[in-house]
Amino acid sequence: MSNEQAEFTEFFQASWEPCLRAVVAVVGSRQLAEDQVAEAFTKAWMSWRKVSHHPSPRAWVVRTALNTGASWWRRRNRELPLADHDVTAGGDLAGGLDATLLTAIWRLPRRQREVIALRIFLDLDTDTIARQMRIEAGTVRMHLSRGVAALRHELTPNKTTEANQ
Amino acid sequence: MNVHDEMSDADVLRAAADYLSAIPMPSAPDTAAIITTGRARRRRMTGLSIAGTAAVTVVALGLSGSFGSTSHQPGRTEHAQLTAWTVAMLADGNISVTINQFKNPAGLQSTLRADGVPASVTFASQRTRACQPYPAGMPGPGITPTPPLLKQVFPKPYQGLPGNLTPGTGPARSVKTTGPNTVPLSGNSTVIVIDPSALPSNAGVQLASENASATALLMPVLVYASAQCTGS
Repeated sequence: MSNEQAEFTEFFQASWEPCLRAVVAVVGSRQLAEDQVAEAFTKAWMSWRKVSHHPSPRAWVVRTALNTGASWWRRRNRELPLADHDVTAGGDLAGGLDATLLTAIWRLPRRQREVIALRIFLDLDTDTIARQMRIEAGTVRMHLSRGVAALRHELTPNKTTEANQ
Repeated sequence: MNVHDEMSDADVLRAAADYLSAIPMPSAPDTAAIITTGRARRRRMTGLSIAGTAAVTVVALGLSGSFGSTSHQPGRTEHAQLTAWTVAMLADGNISVTINQFKNPAGLQSTLRADGVPASVTFASQRTRACQPYPAGMPGPGITPTPPLLKQVFPKPYQGLPGNLTPGTGPARSVKTTGPNTVPLSGNSTVIVIDPSALPSNAGVQLASENASATALLMPVLVYASAQCTGS
């Protein structure tokens, strides 16, 4: 096994799960995310000389996976409103978990989900997320703030009653 | 009491992370399968590149014939017998497009799309309204700075061009001839390098030429991706 292959294998094995979880959090479908992430890792291997020097190879994989997914959807002429698609596709994921938070996450606008996924699964700071998403750091903070506020609302018990007191 | 005081941002993110982490995930596929697929694609792309080079070599040796999308036409210069264009995957994952003549733009468009690049390739006069300019995806007039996004998506030609000039600085005349509106031509060929990983998810590539002439100025720009414009 070449050094390049060994290096990629180590990266792949360490990064598969966090990258997959980040993409699942955005697209809401385990099967779809698995296909997209596998495709992204294939592209990463094809461009390994470049990706291995990327400031955040995992972020490169996640962004490529999400871009691939967007491209697949457009190609299939099935550009359904994302929220509808996610709610339907993600319905089987909750399993034994309380679906309230799951539903709240997938009700967030896609940009907010992307920012939250990159923060919690890839542990990226605001500036790195901004570079990955090609948006301003202030916009990242805005998406994060709004997304967190919406989730906090769901996570706080008896929120409506207490808030009115 | 404000209920929002109960959970900090970090607490909310931690709760979301814990929740999402509890969702069972399939184990990673075999690394060998990923590597094998990637190698096969590399070989396919390298084969395309070698085929294009071989076609040029054969023509250089004086053999007649037609290659790619160009047919032999008596009276044309020898260059007319070259492959009209070649698309090749580079070792770093970028895609190189060499255009000797702007012939069969539909074929070039199909090739780029098959390689995963949402693309619109057309004669300038046939541009469709379905293709809308992408923000910061088009060079400004004259010597205005080249948008960074253009430099990222098209390492060639834009990374080689001045990007920090402001109106009134530098030798305007010489800059304009190689300015962002102009692709420097190597002989009669235009070389454009596309970095697919730098392409925003909702953007596509547009190549539009005024005519089929090898010296026609070609402006690689970004447009909003759509089924009508870039195919996806």
